[in-house]
Amino acid sequence: MRLARCAAALRARFVVVLVIVVAGRIASAQPAGSDAAGSDVAPEPIVTTGRVIDKLGKPIRGAIVTVEGSDVTTKTDRTGRFVIKAPLDGELTVEKSGFELQLAIVTGRALDDILLLGSEDLQETIEVHGEPPVPTAGAAELDRQDLQRVPGTGGDVVRTLTVMPGVVNLQLPIGYSGVVIRGSSPQDSQILVDDFEIPVLFHNIAFRAILPAESIQTLDYIPGGFDVAYGRASSGIVALTTREGDDKRSEQAEVSVIDGGLLAQGKVGNDTNYMVGFRRSTIDLILPYVIPPSVDLSLTTVPSYYDGQFRIDHRLNAHWNLTLSDVGTIDTFELYTSKDTTANTQRYYDRTAFDRLTAAAHYHDGPWTASLALSAILPQFKFDLGAFQHIDVVQPAITPRAEITRTGDSFSGLTNIELRAGAEAQIQRSDVDIAFPQMMVEGEGMQGFNPKDTSTLFKGNFWQPDLAQWTSFAANIDPRIRFQAGLRIDEFTRNHDTAVQPRGKLEISITPTVTARLIAGAYRRPPEYQSESLYPNLQAERSTQAIAGVEYKPIDGARLQLSTYYTDRSDLITYDAHGVLGNSGRGTTEGAELLGTYHVGPWFAWLAYSYSHSVRVDYPGAPERLFSYDQPHSLNAAASWQHGKWTLGGRFQLYSGLPYTPILGGILNSDTNTYTPINGVVNSARAPIHHELDLRVDYTAHYGPVALTYFLDVQNVYLDQSVVTYFYSYDYTQQAAFKSIPIIPSIGVRGVL
Amino acid sequence: MKRLALVILASCSGDIAPPWQLAHERIIAVRATPPHIPAGATSTLDVLVGHVGSGLEVVIPGPADTTVVSPTGLTSNLVGATFTAPGETQLDQIRGDLGLGPSDPVPIEVEVVADTFEALKTIYVGDSSDNPTLDGLLVNGVPPPTDTNALITVPANVDVPLFVDADDDVDNVNWLTSCGTMNDFDIHDAFLHVNPSDPQTGQLAVVLRDESAGVVWQFWSVVAQ
Repeated sequence: MRLARCAAALRARFVVVLVIVVAGRIASAQPAGSDAAGSDVAPEPIVTTGRVIDKLGKPIRGAIVTVEGSDVTTKTDRTGRFVIKAPLDGELTVEKSGFELQLAIVTGRALDDILLLGSEDLQETIEVHGEPPVPTAGAAELDRQDLQRVPGTGGDVVRTLTVMPGVVNLQLPIGYSGVVIRGSSPQDSQILVDDFEIPVLFHNIAFRAILPAESIQTLDYIPGGFDVAYGRASSGIVALTTREGDDKRSEQAEVSVIDGGLLAQGKVGNDTNYMVGFRRSTIDLILPYVIPPSVDLSLTTVPSYYDGQFRIDHRLNAHWNLTLSDVGTIDTFELYTSKDTTANTQRYYDRTAFDRLTAAAHYHDGPWTASLALSAILPQFKFDLGAFQHIDVVQPAITPRAEITRTGDSFSGLTNIELRAGAEAQIQRSDVDIAFPQMMVEGEGMQGFNPKDTSTLFKGNFWQPDLAQWTSFAANIDPRIRFQAGLRIDEFTRNHDTAVQPRGKLEISITPTVTARLIAGAYRRPPEYQSESLYPNLQAERSTQAIAGVEYKPIDGARLQLSTYYTDRSDLITYDAHGVLGNSGRGTTEGAELLGTYHVGPWFAWLAYSYSHSVRVDYPGAPERLFSYDQPHSLNAAASWQHGKWTLGGRFQLYSGLPYTPILGGILNSDTNTYTPINGVVNSARAPIHHELDLRVDYTAHYGPVALTYFLDVQNVYLDQSVVTYFYSYDYTQQAAFKSIPIIPSIGVRGVL
Repeated sequence: MKRLALVILASCSGDIAPPWQLAHERIIAVRATPPHIPAGATSTLDVLVGHVGSGLEVVIPGPADTTVVSPTGLTSNLVGATFTAPGETQLDQIRGDLGLGPSDPVPIEVEVVADTFEALKTIYVGDSSDNPTLDGLLVNGVPPPTDTNALITVPANVDVPLFVDADDDVDNVNWLTSCGTMNDFDIHDAFLHVNPSDPQTGQLAVVLRDESAGVVWQFWSVVAQ
């Protein structure tokens, strides 16, 4: 029966991909004819395409390609590709901030790759790519300075994600990833650093990202429809790339009331660049003084965090580049909800730490590109709650990965061909010691808290060797129409689950300023969230996504894009009617997103609006209900203006409150002295709408060789204390609002030498 | 832990009664005396109920206030506050149904209603044990009176130590009051602090539960001076 359902689902997905390809061919018929006619007239400009890459062979997007001696210009997309009309043997100039100007001769319809070499300006450049409809095209870009100008984010890259359309907004981060995309759940999206997953994205206190902005080169936000090279997620991807050290040596320091950090970068010899960063919380130095002595707390280990990063790039020869990068973090927290630090029943302890080391080699020679990587991670989670409940997990993993790409100019009427294949193996060992209550699943109503409940009890270890392989083929049917068809197969061996995931994409340049995109694909999330790994019978959760989008670029620096999406989710992990954990859930998400960006002169503006509706059924016959992170409306409008040494900015947010399950009362268990709540209809109530205004001021002054930037970032300036959610008294007879902090100022200084 | 961090860094609003507050409508504890009985013996239920105005009340539940939740075949064995254990033959049959060993005590789950509140209480049948006792009780360093609701005077605006001899890893101790603020209410050595802004009169109570479903409580009237 399951096999039959699987086959039907796969057939449906292949039909979707087929429809995309056929639609592309139909759409290509007219332009192809026109093109052929045009090519008969030699003096007329021809439509030519090419790709712009950096010295590592990575595509460069946003590079401006101009026909020399004319005002004909275009920009490269995320794959580094461009299409432009230019005379045969004419000259193109290619420029991009942070790179040296490059020239290219138009030799035909398809040009060789154009290599841009970095300049010293690169050190202060960071890009954030936001792609509501398509993962590989139509990106929004923020440079490093703009990123730090977005108000309300405290200069924190990950908090900048909250301005992206499709990200569920809450006043506090959600889940360990901190990000919920398109109304799903935190565990449905993946956070990557240098192409490999990290387990947490933010620190326990202050909710700062575990990587400071200074150590990040790029941030890719892919809310759905992501590439076959990405897997193990059923919703979206956030991919961070560590920063390559610049050729020019520099050191910088930043300190605020939350944390302080150092970063150094430079070049050793002719071919090696380095970047090293370290950060430590400072809020733990302040916290003991702001907690009133009358409060029943003993902070035996004041909550604190450390994080560190390094990256070394070495250019071996003209074809090979080597990279070694590392990110790590340690969060520790211990307190007693008592003045008595021997009262074990009152003790809370948390230690979250991981370190990920990645070695990668990149090869590029003509049409061939390859990347080989080996990454190892050592995460540790230790959590003690009172005298009886604890979680102690160590999960070392090693992941080798290889990907090879072959490009070609033309084949059988297709141009700009790209054939790609890759594989990886994630070999993970889990050492688990857990004594905790039963795992709560998405949308489950509140359970009574019994400090002696250890119904999830496991001590031992197990291996999870997961394998994945993928391939994709992309080509232009016409200079204005490009398609990509791919397939990813994941083998989750512990669960004996093989996940076949076809994915396809079609991109049509309707006019030079308007591009339409269609994406469809299948995605899987393996059962490894919370204690799911303890249940080998669980299967991966499935999603099938369909996305359509249009992008409009009226002028250079301005962009408007609209996308709609539909996601079907199945095999959702939940408890069935008999309370047995399984894959009985189904759900759907549909929505639309609008993103407008304007970056001209001293102005930077951002407008994002999302509409979303997420519902699910937990088991056959169960009533339909909202996902716990269903957020129908979310609006983010931000603007900043730079003048001389001053930068002023503001952001306004308006978004729906999240659903919650009302509690109707509680029943006392007199023997355990605990109350069991009587839950109402799941997610049948909703917290009120939230709105706030954030402001930021930066002032930069130079003292000899040192540049100091003073900043003040204030969130929620007009003191709107909106409701995050509701909480209940210990016996569930009283309800009160859990409100956001009315005003959060962040003040600090950053110095660059 | 995320939730804990959230509690620290965000703010709460609304009047939520803390769990040590006696001036709150609820069932505080249900006691079966004795909590473990042999086949054919009887156990009697009483209920400690908190009220906002009138303070603590010990209620003997009536016939309409109690029900056997499981095993449902013993519904008729509970009449009001009195539970009569079945005989050995019936007990062995229930042990078989529940998959218990031949000498295991059989848990009888009872629902008790007081006002609009519900509570569950387990009586064990097949062995014998009594409710625990409150040993080593000290209020402000001296043993308090043993009479129910006897008057205790405590100093105002200072920490008043409260002590009962118990193992917090095994026993469940709750100190409750409607006079002042209770600190470390759920460990055996708590302390009471009556601020000038707190009610200067009220009640003080201690409830101790052991691991064998045994319960004992004691309460006093209290005045801060």
